[in-house]
Amino acid sequence: MNASPETLPSALAVVDQRAAAKTNPETVTAIMLLLATVLLIFGSKLISPALGSWEQVLTILTLGSFLLVAAFGQGLVILTGGLDLSVPGTFMLGGVLSAAWIGSGDVHLWFFLPTILLLGGVVGAANGLGVVLLKVPPFIMTMGMSIIVGSIALGYTGGSTLGAAPTLLKALMKGDTLGVPNIVLLILVFSIAGWLLQSRTHFGRNLYAVGCSPAAARIAGIPITRTLVLVYALSGIASAFAGALLTGYSNGATLRMGDAYLLPTVAAVILGGASILGGSGSFINTLCGVLFLSTVESVIAATGLDQGWRLIISGTIIVLAILIQQAQASGARPGLSRLFKRSSGQPKS
Amino acid sequence: MATLIQNTVEAPPPWRGVMGRHPACFTLMLYIVMYGMYAMFDSKALSSYTFTNLINNASPLALAAAGQTLVVLARGFDLSIVGTLSIANVIMAVLPLDGPWGALASFAICVGVGALVGSASGYLVAYRGVQSVAATLGVMIICQGIALLILPAPGGMVAEWVSDEMTSTLFSLVPASIILPVIVAGLWMLLGKTDLGTALYAVGADQAAAELSGIPVKRTRLLAYVMAGALYGVAGFMLSAQTATGDPNAGMPFLLLSFAAVALGGTSLAGGQGGLIGSLIGAATLMLMQKVLFSGGVSSFYIGLFQGVLLIVAIVIGRLINRSRTGDRP
Repeated sequence: MNASPETLPSALAVVDQRAAAKTNPETVTAIMLLLATVLLIFGSKLISPALGSWEQVLTILTLGSFLLVAAFGQGLVILTGGLDLSVPGTFMLGGVLSAAWIGSGDVHLWFFLPTILLLGGVVGAANGLGVVLLKVPPFIMTMGMSIIVGSIALGYTGGSTLGAAPTLLKALMKGDTLGVPNIVLLILVFSIAGWLLQSRTHFGRNLYAVGCSPAAARIAGIPITRTLVLVYALSGIASAFAGALLTGYSNGATLRMGDAYLLPTVAAVILGGASILGGSGSFINTLCGVLFLSTVESVIAATGLDQGWRLIISGTIIVLAILIQQAQASGARPGLSRLFKRSSGQPKS
Repeated sequence: MATLIQNTVEAPPPWRGVMGRHPACFTLMLYIVMYGMYAMFDSKALSSYTFTNLINNASPLALAAAGQTLVVLARGFDLSIVGTLSIANVIMAVLPLDGPWGALASFAICVGVGALVGSASGYLVAYRGVQSVAATLGVMIICQGIALLILPAPGGMVAEWVSDEMTSTLFSLVPASIILPVIVAGLWMLLGKTDLGTALYAVGADQAAAELSGIPVKRTRLLAYVMAGALYGVAGFMLSAQTATGDPNAGMPFLLLSFAAVALGGTSLAGGQGGLIGSLIGAATLMLMQKVLFSGGVSSFYIGLFQGVLLIVAIVIGRLINRSRTGDRP
């Protein structure tokens, strides 16, 4: 359900645009992002010779992996025209519970890890139910849920930091298999799975339909309530998983561990060319957005700029990305249809 | 869709009619009931000192929610509220100007900064057609960055005159912090008599119709953000008077609470319905609720839980009220 106020799905604009989009601007965006990432990595050698090494690339990939997993869920939600601001809550839930329930002893890991992910899914499903049944705007519903989850976790842990990560998660983040770092394998497997789910399944195609026009999707017989609840649940699971991974990497969990991941998930999806209004985007593009953002982040970190500058740069990147997208989308269409802006990406069929 | 039509056809119960026409009445009643509960928990609740404290606590949120109302009425959401409040707060802490004239200068700076940030958000939303959540999210992050550059860590001192006088009790009865919200409420009533006030509702209710009837949609929307920004600046001024110190993240709690106050005050989050005065009372109710929970023995850890739940409940109640209001029309 497109509950955002400016979202006025116009079937006309969508049809209009399908005719206009002959070349796939999504592929162009992806290639541009990858190109910018590679340039940035080589360019960073100018700042410091220590940068641009294989170790640095591996660090970027490792730090990017949490973002990628969380951004997968965010991308699905944005695809339906929503926004998931509960990432800090579910991310922290996954991280804190991994440390608190499983800990370094790997106590009943095979029972607890799925349970933790399921809890993330339950929080997400509650988001979905609030959005669909109570008709609360997505960003408010998810923001409220994040605060609720955060508050419960604060009461549960009494505000202390938990420092013990399951060995399996540690191995996943830091070990390697046959000379290939596990984290690279994880990113590969997750990317392929995410892409298949979003672009090659019935469920994924339903998401594009719901995001393009909820009314049309309803007429087409797509179960909107079930689809949306499932999407928010998936986002909750993904974000809880990302939190568990971060606990494995940093060997501990804090209550604020998810806060830093909210904005980058949105930014990565939007940078990848997905419309914030829903109905377009692909996970491969989100992957490119994640790689670019992680690289920017690590280069900025290496230059030793203030946290303030980092925020200013990432905020500017988001605004610019959206403006460029708008310009691309509105270029072909004159007049009133500009009111009903949609980005140029199209669902693959 | 079908359920909506059904509900509008049904005649709503009479109490809903009164509530529907004046959603702020409902909020005011809630406030009074909650104050009664507070008086039961805490025997000092009825003293002038406690009342001043309550109003002092509520004043920054009330002003911030007043600003948010303007944007919500024009069919938008303004996340830059966080950034503007933070910037105003750190400026007050880094650049303390003492004395009444210093306070006036600080006030002007806060309003100016707020209007500037508001015009940036407003330009992106109104003239570039960027979805409001996305545009104001970007602006908010940039502003948070600027606030961190001005003051990297919590600290600094707000001018003594501001922190003393703005939190005092006038004639040992009226809290000084109520003055600005009352002025804002007065200005709001004046605004309702102007074309801009009418345009604000028209743009929020139906943009296409507003455009066809010759209302300058873009300008109206831009002005909504600018006025909202100025109000966040005022909120930042009052917050600084309240905390007497600076914090680059001072605005963060206001994001969720401002929407909760707006919804609780009976303004429809879909735009075009509601009003600013409801939000002022809504904000006061939210802060009072925190006090009641504390005095009722709830651990401060769980405040977020209640705030989140109340936010969602407030929106659902607000929608029911709004729905019954549309049902009133023949």
